[in-house]
Amino acid sequence: MTDEKKPLLRSEKKLKSAALVQAYQKEWWNQTQERLRQGEPYAICMADDAEDIFTAFDIPVIVIPWWSAMISAKRMSEYYGNVLAAHGYDMDQYGSLGLGVTLDHRPEIAPWGGLPKPLVIMGTTMSDHALKITDLWAREYGCTCFTTELNYNTPTNPYPHRWWEKIRDHWDQVIEPHKIDLKVQELKGLIRFLEVHTGKEFSHAKLTEVMNLVNEQEDLWAKTRDLIAQSSPCVVTLPDQLSMYPAQWHRGKPQGRDIIKAFYEETLERVHTGQVACPREKIRMMWLGVGLWVNTAFFQYFEEEYGVTFVASIYTSIAADGYARTIKNNDPLRALASRFAWLGVQETEWLAHVAKQHHCDGVVGFQCGPRPQLWTRYLEKQGLPVCEIPGNNVDARQWDDVNIRNLMKDFIEKRILPNKKQAGRLKTDD
Amino acid sequence: MTAYERIVKHYQQRNLSALEWKKNGGKVIGYFCNNVPEELIMAAGFFPLRISGDPWEGTETAEGYRMPYPVVAFVETMMNKLLTGKYDFLDYLVIPHARDPIWRLWTQLHFVSELDPQIKLPEIYYYDNLHTTFYTSSVYNRDRTIELKKQLEKWSGKKIPAKALKKAIAITNENKRLLKEVAALRSADPPRISGLEALQIIGTSMCMPKEEHNRLLTAYLQDSESLPAHNGIRLFVEGSPLDNLQFYEVVESCGALVVAEDNCWGNRYSDVPISHTVNLFQSIVDRYLKKSPCPRMFPLQKRIDYCVQKAIESKAQGALFHIYVGDNLQAWEAPEEIKALRANGLPVAYLKKQPYLLSDTDKEGLRTEIKEFIKTL
Ligand code: SF4
Repeated sequence: MTDEKKPLLRSEKKLKSAALVQAYQKEWWNQTQERLRQGEPYAICMADDAEDIFTAFDIPVIVIPWWSAMISAKRMSEYYGNVLAAHGYDMDQYGSLGLGVTLDHRPEIAPWGGLPKPLVIMGTTMSDHALKITDLWAREYGCTCFTTELNYNTPTNPYPHRWWEKIRDHWDQVIEPHKIDLKVQELKGLIRFLEVHTGKEFSHAKLTEVMNLVNEQEDLWAKTRDLIAQSSPCVVTLPDQLSMYPAQWHRGKPQGRDIIKAFYEETLERVHTGQVACPREKIRMMWLGVGLWVNTAFFQYFEEEYGVTFVASIYTSIAADGYARTIKNNDPLRALASRFAWLGVQETEWLAHVAKQHHCDGVVGFQCGPRPQLWTRYLEKQGLPVCEIPGNNVDARQWDDVNIRNLMKDFIEKRILPNKKQAGRLKTDD
Repeated sequence: MTAYERIVKHYQQRNLSALEWKKNGGKVIGYFCNNVPEELIMAAGFFPLRISGDPWEGTETAEGYRMPYPVVAFVETMMNKLLTGKYDFLDYLVIPHARDPIWRLWTQLHFVSELDPQIKLPEIYYYDNLHTTFYTSSVYNRDRTIELKKQLEKWSGKKIPAKALKKAIAITNENKRLLKEVAALRSADPPRISGLEALQIIGTSMCMPKEEHNRLLTAYLQDSESLPAHNGIRLFVEGSPLDNLQFYEVVESCGALVVAEDNCWGNRYSDVPISHTVNLFQSIVDRYLKKSPCPRMFPLQKRIDYCVQKAIESKAQGALFHIYVGDNLQAWEAPEEIKALRANGLPVAYLKKQPYLLSDTDKEGLRTEIKEFIKTL
């Protein structure tokens, strides 16, 4: 906790460690582009589908949501949305922008010239559309679509109570063994494929090193997350936490680990020196669901207007709670398989836990229909007020600022503040 | 009542046989999609009833269970029916790992006891299976199917004897053989059975005791000589699951006949029997995993080949793609299938983002589009 007696200082807006992650991201991208230009075999794959294998091989890998974000950052999502529509794909799916670039065959206007033909695109059964997109993309390139089963989206038996306390060390008790068995077989198939097609050898020692680095990095995330969750006022707000998220793309490398180490140290320093993100923090919120990339001014506005600090999201918390896997019986592949086959990122008990752990007064997320959705109803039952706002994380055009501000204003004034008042009164009454 | 009239009656009242079965002391297992082996359910002594959507059902209660994923109305109406007591007679429910909105029901229905404790649901079993046809997948699916068998045995309180399983396969294979005769009469020149009739004939197989359905089919087919010849432009239909007649009613009111389709409520349900290999169990599993691919399966090329093969075999003059709004699964594969059909000389009209419940205006719009298309053939 922050030492209440020290004067609270408004922290510098940007984290110093965010600059580190940006710099490394840039260096990595420059190197990767060079390697691709040299014709090195590389892979395209979904997030959390096989990256750590490629890292252990030292085969460059482009992660699909990251590439989509790069295309969006160049303000070309509308253009490639139109390209996709012209090919009959007018379904507005975020993960398809890269396919749009490839279908367009115009390197002269493509972001960074587009991507050359990869050795392999990892097909994924992660969702109905991701399976088709990866398949179509490989067809367009004329490369192999190496499809594997089981991923974080695979339906699972009811999650064990407080799974996040067990998954790191007791993953073999949490996840059905037959799922891990299959995932190990699939990863072995992939490793053989890559060995045959690249001439590279896959090393057990290297994979162990990668897994150890991942564990170190995620443990540091967890320690940082704990500091943030317990600090009041909060020392690192959500937008700043999210600016560190790209380090997750580099898990399994010393650089990824070192960046999160710096993040941890910086956070600790803020705690010690009483530098907080919003000195007049009154209300703490969790952002529910996928990233709110479209409108960071959103956070700013409610901070200034109502002293609202967004402190939690599933992104930072899943890095802390979901990724680390203790290697057992000297078998890093099995430990890794257990992560690919199972990640509790959408589990409701955990969502409520994240909100409570961060001492959130409320939760905000996107609507997905005319009435309160499942997550909302569940969290409300756990005593967490939820505000659903219209829009989605991809299309900025659907952001209705006036409407959203009014909804939030109502939520804060009619639900959060009275709740807090009541809680306060209860305290004094006691 | 003629055999066909009885089929129509059971298509309109899909729970009729199941309720009858219950009255006689039997138990009913509801299941989704085309990949749960009915043979096993039958061999265990249960009545397998395929859960179907209903365009007139509405989705109000189910909307309270939405998650941040695409929604498709035919599945949401199934959920609504489950939540509003339309299936309150079910003893058990099997949810397979099929398309996303179907398997996600497994996740969503888990919350019912917490969010709406007054709603009673049957015991639910999740039938895990995979979407690739690799060897490892067939072994994995076999093991999951053995688990399903064990669950059925637990529910029934007795072992499934190999004899019962063989008998069930013989019955469903006979059903498929008869339905293939129906398919042949449909694509005959001239067709003797319309698409509208066929959809009801096939659909009732999933909501009646198979032996009874076989008897009806046999009686119906005995008089096949006297079935009237149908005239009209021969069309093939590809697209979203058709658990109701609205679309074929529109198509066939335009002077066309649907001579075949690639659909889990149509020919795709019945076009491949279970073959007898050395391992009966693996034969069942491989039939469901590897034959007549449903759109959830990888790779796309198998789906394209299947679509083209079925369209060509049916000697259709053109193809209609009919895809519901929100049905991303079919929408993502349609463009390549359309390309392949056109490359095979078959003209195609693509009716995208279709509502599940058609209003009169929707129907008029569709008629205009279909008539325009027919003119070009
Ligand atoms: S197409 Fe396949 S997944 Fe979709 S409803 Fe039919 S059987 Fe189920």
